[in-house]
Amino acid sequence: MKVSSLSFSKWLDQRLNHGDRVWNVLMLTLSLVVPVLIILIGWQLWIDSSGAREKFGWAFLLPTADAAWNPVFGKFQAWPFIYGTLITSAVAIIIAVPVSLGIAIFLAELCPAWLREPLSWMLELLAAIPSVVYGLWGIFVFLPFVVKPFGDFLTALLGPIPVLGLFFEGPLPASGASRLAASMILAIMIIPTIAAVTRDVFLAIPQAQREASFAIGSTQWEMIWQVLIPYGLSGILGAVILGLGRALGETMAVTMVIGNSIAGSVSLLSPGYTMSSIIANEFAEAVDQLHSESLIEVGLILFVLTLLLNSLARFLVWQVARRGTEQDARS
Amino acid sequence: MTTVITPYIQNRSRFTARRITNAIMLTLTGAVTLLALLPLFWIIGYVIFKGGQYINLDFITQMPKPLGVQGGGVLHAMQGTLILTMLSAIIAIPPSIIIAFYAAFRPNTLLGIVLRFSTDVLSGVPSIVIGLVGYALIVKPQGHYSGLAGSFAIAVMMLPIIIRTTEEMLKLVPNNLREGSLALGAAEWKTSLSVILPAAANGVITGIMLGIARVSGETAPLIFTTLGNERYNIGQIVQGGDSFFQTLYNIVEQPMDSLPLTLWKYAQQPFPERVNQSWAVALVLMLFVLAINIVVRLWIRSRGTHLKG
Amino acid sequence: MKRQFTIFSLLMIIAVIASACATPTPQTVEVTKIVAGTPEKVVITATPEVKPTTLPAGSVKINGSGATFPLPVYTDWTYAFSYVDPSVAINYQGIGSGGGKKAIVDGTVDFAGSDSLVTDAEYTQGKDLQMYPMVAGAVVAIYNVEGITTPITLDRDTLVGIYSAKITTWNDPAIVALNPDLKDKLPNKTITVVHRSDGSGTTEIFTKALASFSEDWKKNVGAGSAVEWPVDKAKNGVGGKGNQGVTAAVLSTPNSIGYVELSFALANGTPTAQMVNKAKKTVKPNAESVQAAMADFANGFDAKLTATIVDAPGEKSWPITGYTYLVLHQTSMTDCVKAKKLLEYINWTLSDTSAAKRAGELGYSVLPSDVKAKVTAKLGEVTCGGKPVMIK
Repeated sequence: MKVSSLSFSKWLDQRLNHGDRVWNVLMLTLSLVVPVLIILIGWQLWIDSSGAREKFGWAFLLPTADAAWNPVFGKFQAWPFIYGTLITSAVAIIIAVPVSLGIAIFLAELCPAWLREPLSWMLELLAAIPSVVYGLWGIFVFLPFVVKPFGDFLTALLGPIPVLGLFFEGPLPASGASRLAASMILAIMIIPTIAAVTRDVFLAIPQAQREASFAIGSTQWEMIWQVLIPYGLSGILGAVILGLGRALGETMAVTMVIGNSIAGSVSLLSPGYTMSSIIANEFAEAVDQLHSESLIEVGLILFVLTLLLNSLARFLVWQVARRGTEQDARS
Repeated sequence: MTTVITPYIQNRSRFTARRITNAIMLTLTGAVTLLALLPLFWIIGYVIFKGGQYINLDFITQMPKPLGVQGGGVLHAMQGTLILTMLSAIIAIPPSIIIAFYAAFRPNTLLGIVLRFSTDVLSGVPSIVIGLVGYALIVKPQGHYSGLAGSFAIAVMMLPIIIRTTEEMLKLVPNNLREGSLALGAAEWKTSLSVILPAAANGVITGIMLGIARVSGETAPLIFTTLGNERYNIGQIVQGGDSFFQTLYNIVEQPMDSLPLTLWKYAQQPFPERVNQSWAVALVLMLFVLAINIVVRLWIRSRGTHLKG
Repeated sequence: MKRQFTIFSLLMIIAVIASACATPTPQTVEVTKIVAGTPEKVVITATPEVKPTTLPAGSVKINGSGATFPLPVYTDWTYAFSYVDPSVAINYQGIGSGGGKKAIVDGTVDFAGSDSLVTDAEYTQGKDLQMYPMVAGAVVAIYNVEGITTPITLDRDTLVGIYSAKITTWNDPAIVALNPDLKDKLPNKTITVVHRSDGSGTTEIFTKALASFSEDWKKNVGAGSAVEWPVDKAKNGVGGKGNQGVTAAVLSTPNSIGYVELSFALANGTPTAQMVNKAKKTVKPNAESVQAAMADFANGFDAKLTATIVDAPGEKSWPITGYTYLVLHQTSMTDCVKAKKLLEYINWTLSDTSAAKRAGELGYSVLPSDVKAKVTAKLGEVTCGGKPVMIK
C-alpha cells in the first residue's frame, strides 16, 4: 500500500507497533546499568586497596583473638568490624521482621479504612528522618532512657544462661553505647521500609484469595498466615532484603551509639564497631597510604559480604518457590 | 447418642482454640503497630521541641552568618537540598521504572537474574562507599566538586529502592489485565505504560517516596561529591546575568550544601549556638520531606479512582 | 481534592521561587560576641573597607577543604572577607586533613587546610605544593571531678601517666603533689579517660605532645591522627566522636578526663586543667601561652615552612600546641583572577587587626611577626602562568 493512501491513524498504528522494538532495546540497555555499577564499585574498591591486600592477605579478615587496629605502627585487622556489622544487622533483622509483619498485617487487614491513610503516612515519615537525627536522638534520649534500663534487664535475665549468656554478659557501659543500642536503632530505621512494602504487597493480593479462605472456614489469622503470607512471600522477602541492605550499610546513626571500640567482648552489651563506622570515622583524616588502603579494604569486605548474603537470600527464595511449584504440581 | 455428641464437643474445643489464637495474634499486630509508632512520635516530638526554639523566619530566608551575628539562616542548604532531590529524582526515576519492567517480566533470562541480584547488592552498599566511588569517577576527572556529581551519587542510592518496589508491585498486577490489553491489540510497551503501570501506581509511588525520603537525609555521599558550600545562592547566580544555559550550568556545576550536611556540620561545632541550630535544621528537613509527601499523596487522590484486582 | 492539590502545589512553587529570588543585601557588619556562661553580650564593631570592584558579587568562587581544627576561624574569616571584597566567595569545608590533602593533590579544590604535614609521596604527586602556617591552636585537657571547682594542675608526666593507664585514680600521689590545696578533695575514684574515636588533627597534636613528654609513649604508642590507646586495653577508656563527643562524654561521666581544642573548652565553659610546662612553670591555656610557644620555635621552620611546636621550652608557653597550615599550588594555578583573590585573602588574614582579634576570641592565636614575614615572603613566590601573582 502506498503511503499516500494510508489514513493518518493507520500510519500511527503501524509506527506504534514498532515501539516494541524500541521498548525492548531501552529496557535492555538500562538494565545493564545496574550490574555495570556494581562491577564499577567493586573494581574501584579492589584497585584502591591493592597495597593493603598484598601486605596482609587473608589474615586481615579471619577471626582472631588479638585483633589490632593501629594506624601509627601500620597493623590492621578487620575481624572486630566484620563481627560488629554481622551481629548488629542480624539482631536488627530479628527484631524488625516480626514487628514489620505485624504492622503490615494490621494496616492491610485490620485497620479501619479511615485510619489506614494517616497511619501509613506516619510510618513513611519515620523513613524520612535522616540518620544523623536518629544518631543525635539516640545519644540524648534513646541511650539513657531505653537502652540502659533494657540492657541491664537483659544482663540480669539472660547473663547466667550457659552459652547464650555470653552474648548478654557484662555490664552495659555507663552511657549505654553498645551493639544492642546500634541494633535497636537499626531496627527502628528499617521497620518503615519493610512494613511499607509488605503492606503494599498485602493490599495488592486479590480479594478472591481471602474470600476463598473464609469460604472454607478459616479464621482471619489463619487466612493471613496460611494464604496471604505464602502468596506474598516473594514480595515480603524482597522487602526484608531491602531492609537488610539498609542495615548493613547504615553509617551515621550506628557510629553515634555503638561506642566505637574494638576492645570489648562478643557480648551485645559491650561497645562495638562496624565496618561502615570505621570507614566513616577514620577515612577523612587517614593520611597514611596503608591506612586509607586498609579502610578501603574494609569497604571491599563489606561489599563482598553484601554479595554473599544476597546470594544466600536468593537461594532461599528459589528453594521456597521450588517447593511451592512442587506442591502445586502434586495438587 | 454419645457417638453423636462427642465429635461435636471435640470440634468445639478446637474451634475455641483457633478463635483464641486469632484474637491474640490480631491484638498483637495492633500492639506492635503502636509500639513501632512510639519512637516516631518521640523523635518528632524531640526534634520539634529542640528545633522549634531556634527556628524563625530569618532561619529559612537568610544565608548563613558567622557566629555571634544575628539573623543567619540556612537558605543555601534548602536550595541545595531542593536542587539535589529534584535532579536525583529526574536521573533515577524513569530508568528505575523501565528497569523494573524488565526485572518483573523477564526474570529468568540471564540478564534478569543478574539484574535482580545486582539490585539487592546495590541496596547494601554503604553510602560512604558510593561517595568515594563518585569522587573517583566524577569529581576527580572533572576537577571540581559539583551538585551534579552529588545528584548522581544519590540517584545511585535511590535506584535499588525504586526498582525493587516497582518490580514487586508490577508482579502483583493480575495477569488478566495484561492479557486483556494485549487482546485488544495494544503493543507490549503501550500495555506496560498505560495499563500495568497505573494499576501498580500506588505501590510504585510508595517506593519513590521511600527512595526520596531516604536520599534527602543522606550525608556521607555528599561529603565526597558536593563538598558543601555556604555561599551557594541561586538568587545571586540567576542575577549574575548569564545566558540561560550558562546559568543552569552555574547552578548545578559548583559545590553545594544540603540540609543533612549542614546538620552534620553544625552538630560538630563547639559553639552551643550552632548545635542548637542543627536541631532547627533537622526540623526544616522533616518539614521538607513532609511537604513532598503531601503534594504527591494529594496528586494521587486527585487522579480519582484507581484499578484494583 | 483537586482544588486542595492545586492550592498546595501553587503555594509550594511560590515558596520555592521566593527563596530563589532572595539575595543578601550587603550591610555593615556588627559582630555581637556571645560569651559562654556570662549573661551579657559584648558588642564589637568590625569595620570592613568595601573595595569597589568591577566583578559582579560572588563571581570569583574559590573552594577549599581540609582540617576541621581551624574551621570556626576560617568560616568567620571567609565570611568577613566577602564584605571586604564582595566579588569573592570563598568556601571552606572541614572534611578532614587527609581529605583536604587528597583534594589538593587531585586538583579538585583551590586550596587545602591541613594539620598534618604533606608527605614526600604527596609532594611528588602534587608537584608544587607548599604549606603555609596560618594560625596555631591549643589542645587542652578537660575534666569532670566531683566536688572540685578550682582548676586542677597537671604536669607532663602525670598527663602521660593518666593516658597510659599508669595513674588510675584521681587521688594518686602524683596528682596530689601538684595540687596541694586539693589534697582532701581529690576523690579516690577511677579516672575514666576519654579520647577521640575518629581520626583528627587534635589527636595528632595531643599524641605528638605526649610522645615528646615521654620516650615510653613515643616507643609504644606513637603519635598520629588515630592511635591505639592504652586505656582501652585497661578498660577505663571511652571513645567520643569529635570534639563534641568528647565534651559530652566528659560532662556526662563523673570523674573523667578528656582532651579537646581550646575553642571547644572556651565555648562550652568546661573546667580546663592548667599545665606545668617544660620550663617547670604553671601556665593556663590561652592566646598568650600559645603565642609564646610559637615564638619559641620561630626559627624551627624547615625548608617546607613547617614546624612542630609541642613541648615548647619557654616559660610562658603552653605545651600542647600545633600549627594548622594552608596548602597551595605554588606555580601550577591556571585561573589567575582566582589566584590573585586567594592571595589577597591570605594577606588580609595575616595583616588585618579585626581578623586577628576575631581569631583570638575564637581561641586561636595568629602568627608572631617574624613567622608572618616568612609566610608573606613565600607567598610572594607564587606564580600563575609564569607571572608572580602578588604585585607589590
